[in-house]
Amino acid sequence: MATDNTDPTAEYRKNQSWLYDSKAGGYVRKTAIGLLTLVIGVFVLFPLYWMVVTAFKTTSEIQQIPPTVFPADPSLEGFRLVIESSIQAGGYAGLVSDLFGITVTSAIDINLLGLIVNSLKVAVGAGLIAVVLGTGASYVLSRREFRGKNLLMSLLLASLMFPGTAIMVPEWELISTLGLFNTHLALILIYGAMTSPFVVWLMKGFFDDFPDSIIEASQIDQCTPFETFWYVLVPMARNSLIASFIFAFLLAWNELVFALTLLDNSKFTVPPGLLTFVQGFNTQWNVVAAASIIVSIPVLAGLAYIQRYFVQGLTGGAIKG
Amino acid sequence: MSYVDQAQSSYRSATRYIPESLRVYLPILPVMALVGLFILYPIAQAIYSSFFTKSLLAPSEAEFVGLANYVEIWADPDIHQVLWNTFVWVTVGSLAAIVLGFLMGWLLDEKLPYTSVASAIVLIPWVLPRVVGASIWQFMFGGSQGIVNELLVQMGVIDEYIVMLGANQYSLWPPIIGMVWRLAPLFALLTLTSLQGIDEHLYEAARMDGATPWEQFRYITIPMMKYNLAIGFLLMLIYNVRNFSMVWVMTKGGPGVSSSTLPVMIYRAAFIDFEVGFASALSVLLFVVLLVFSYYYIKFYDKVRGDM
Repeated sequence: MATDNTDPTAEYRKNQSWLYDSKAGGYVRKTAIGLLTLVIGVFVLFPLYWMVVTAFKTTSEIQQIPPTVFPADPSLEGFRLVIESSIQAGGYAGLVSDLFGITVTSAIDINLLGLIVNSLKVAVGAGLIAVVLGTGASYVLSRREFRGKNLLMSLLLASLMFPGTAIMVPEWELISTLGLFNTHLALILIYGAMTSPFVVWLMKGFFDDFPDSIIEASQIDQCTPFETFWYVLVPMARNSLIASFIFAFLLAWNELVFALTLLDNSKFTVPPGLLTFVQGFNTQWNVVAAASIIVSIPVLAGLAYIQRYFVQGLTGGAIKG
Repeated sequence: MSYVDQAQSSYRSATRYIPESLRVYLPILPVMALVGLFILYPIAQAIYSSFFTKSLLAPSEAEFVGLANYVEIWADPDIHQVLWNTFVWVTVGSLAAIVLGFLMGWLLDEKLPYTSVASAIVLIPWVLPRVVGASIWQFMFGGSQGIVNELLVQMGVIDEYIVMLGANQYSLWPPIIGMVWRLAPLFALLTLTSLQGIDEHLYEAARMDGATPWEQFRYITIPMMKYNLAIGFLLMLIYNVRNFSMVWVMTKGGPGVSSSTLPVMIYRAAFIDFEVGFASALSVLLFVVLLVFSYYYIKFYDKVRGDM
């Protein structure tokens, strides 16, 4: 906090500590903050850096001891192997050789393209379910008073805490009973159930803040409740709706436990597929890193959009960024 | 007549026999049905199954055994190890994530340039697919080419490479470190948002009254964000206690059960040993823990909302 000599209240704005009010203190403080930032920054960023450089190393370089901090010979071998393997495993090898005259053979066994297609199917389905069902519910929960409202809200909030490992065994039994084992529909429904409470909370935050006057104006213009909802509220809620969809999409994209227990290899989504490859015999880490980067792209794109809504979602809009 | 009017009129005719007072529940019904069937019902199912001996391969041949599965938990020395590991995860892992996350949030709050870009970058560990994050850490800790070993040798902590993920005495810690890496950003963002929500005038008034930086922190910052911190703390506990992917990817809970936590044990019991009853009893144990955490989570959540 710099003291301004021309400001008569400067004396009172002082921080009452040599760390803040003297030049030497300022240097000490800045050095300490700089060091702390450096240590934490390395801890957070180094693993990400390591993933990126590993992806650009050759297969012989990743086996080197000690490991190299910069790739001595940057190469796209990891990415090439992922793509070749996807082409081969997806059964497109014949097509590629017909079209481009290239013979694709791969010793690596990961069908990343197939995994991504499966994940997209599941994630889009779950996202749509969560947004459509969640928005309707959140509107009523925000705008109307009725018996059992608090109980329902608490139930929804609590249900966010249980999925995953806590219910994987009974979920397996349920899905088997329903005859949905090894179907993507099972995952779409489960992920929809896992994320719609979250969407309810996020959208409720939006509707809570929505000015009554706009709804009254539309009623004066003789809009029916459905018209008000569809023509007034939904367009204005567009950003929150997109954020909700991205949240649901990302959860489905990242989820491991249910995908691992409820699907067979042939229908795997990205997380269990990647896991199987990582835990397979003689893991080739440049391929893992390249595949990791590819499957992280949608996540990073989504992050840029939802960052603002992040804390709002966790705290139901109770604190605003 | 537009499709919206059609929707409204078909909604009207479909619901004409439903009393007005109940119609308000209709838009909530689909969500509750989905959540009820796929999240709440399985919880009840697990409690029920925990009283039976049942194989995953032949679930119809269930045999009622009363509390035998719970007695087995009590008697099983492996489970004692697993419960202790889970306790270490939840305490050490959560505390580390909170301290680190708080510092990160505090640094991000105006002490670093480009706060929004920096906080987006900081969030990457949290949003990255679980398996991807865990694989990176496995690669860094594991194998003969692990960079962590090299770093420790360079720093003079150890003389030669040691086996970390495959050694009983070390295997618990690498996944915890990975989990701190994943969770701390979440707490950082929560801290950052809470800090930004505090009115700057409060600090100014306190300074005029002669409050030192420590006093400002102690009597303004902490009280103003205590419920948000409590929510963040409970989220850390919940995420740590139910985490599966970080352990499973890095060590599979091994060697033996040296790095297993409760969720890993549930997975093993059900999908490797096929003992559904025993796995369900373990799940019930996890519910109880989660229920306690969730209760306080909701309580603090209501407090934050009440203060608005």
